[in-house]
Amino acid sequence: MSASNDSLSSPYSAALFTGLWKENPTFRLLIGLCPPLAVTTAVKPALTMGLSVIFVLVCSNIVVSLMRNLIKPHVRIIMFTVTIATFVTICDMFLKAYTPKMSEMLGAYVPLIIVNCLIIFRAEACASKSGMVISILDGIGMGTGFTLALCTLAGIRELLATGHVFDIQVMPKAFVPWLAFQMPVGAFVTLGLILGLITALTRKKGA
Amino acid sequence: MLKLKLFVQESWLLLASSFFFGLLIAVTNAALSGKIEQNKTAKLNELTRTLLPDAAIFQPVQAEIEVTLPDGTKEAARIFEALSADKQRIGWSFMAHGSGFSGDIELVMAADKDFQKLRGYNVLVSSETPGFGDQMKNDYYRNQFVNAPTEPLTLSKTGNPAAVDSQIVAITGATVTSTAVVNLVNTFVVQIKDQMTKKGLIGNVSQQR
Repeated sequence: MSASNDSLSSPYSAALFTGLWKENPTFRLLIGLCPPLAVTTAVKPALTMGLSVIFVLVCSNIVVSLMRNLIKPHVRIIMFTVTIATFVTICDMFLKAYTPKMSEMLGAYVPLIIVNCLIIFRAEACASKSGMVISILDGIGMGTGFTLALCTLAGIRELLATGHVFDIQVMPKAFVPWLAFQMPVGAFVTLGLILGLITALTRKKGA
Repeated sequence: MLKLKLFVQESWLLLASSFFFGLLIAVTNAALSGKIEQNKTAKLNELTRTLLPDAAIFQPVQAEIEVTLPDGTKEAARIFEALSADKQRIGWSFMAHGSGFSGDIELVMAADKDFQKLRGYNVLVSSETPGFGDQMKNDYYRNQFVNAPTEPLTLSKTGNPAAVDSQIVAITGATVTSTAVVNLVNTFVVQIKDQMTKKGLIGNVSQQR
């Protein structure tokens, strides 16, 4: 474990909070962009996807962290993939059993978490080099950052495409829905504008 | 022998964890598969019941009825006889599917007890464009199939959608989806009706229960 004795709390809080903003997977690192573009038509499916990713990320980080000293370097990628695939399959079955409508709405995007590079990236960059506590905190932090990003995108798209947020009417009844925001083009435009805004804000800060 | 030793040395963790993970998935599957199946059946029953509200039991039809799809392949149709609580036949329900604008469309359809009039459809699977093709789930389009005759339907761009006839008015901006629904209804309804009449399931013969 890389924790130094003089500031024990700092690596833990760093592991937990980096993913929220500084290294937010969607807005700052631009990794794992398939779900942010595909399942953000409404907040509910986005939140479900986010929670599924947190579950898979935390579980795979735990397993990879436990096995980090046993894994042979040249079989590590296949080990990560097997681990991730297992937890994604379990998560998919739970969604099918307990929230069938949501599972149907998310369709193939839940099984596709297996190939989401965010999860394999955290296994490689953090869990395979760190202890269990750091790995769990990292999984929670990165997963939460990812979920917040999904919900932000979904909130904007749902509001503009339907006038609702979380199925609650927000816009006045006279509002004409911008249907384009429910289609893939809406995802690209929203993500592009948010990224532009973030770049503008952070550039000002740096200057 | 050396090769085998090397293989085991390098991959024992992968083999062991694959076994363990496989076991984990098998246990989860055993615990949840019943509920997943139950959800599927419940969804089908719920959707069919909205078409035939008086139906209590849906009994699969045992007779082999084959449908030839537009691409020439043949497949067995899935047909259910809808019975009321006192075992009287009140209609039929069946599955129909075909290609839409983006991916397959799967519908559950219902017809009256003599298979003379449709009772409408409900969408089981579709990935049509939201706001356009997706409107096939809306009442405006769906209601045109309620009480429509079980003969080839035609699609038109203009007309009265409220009229109960064999003419279906298309959804504006979703001609491909509208055509796809009419085509798949025509493919399944006409063939199923023909074969059921030939096999004596409908027509003059009334089944005694």
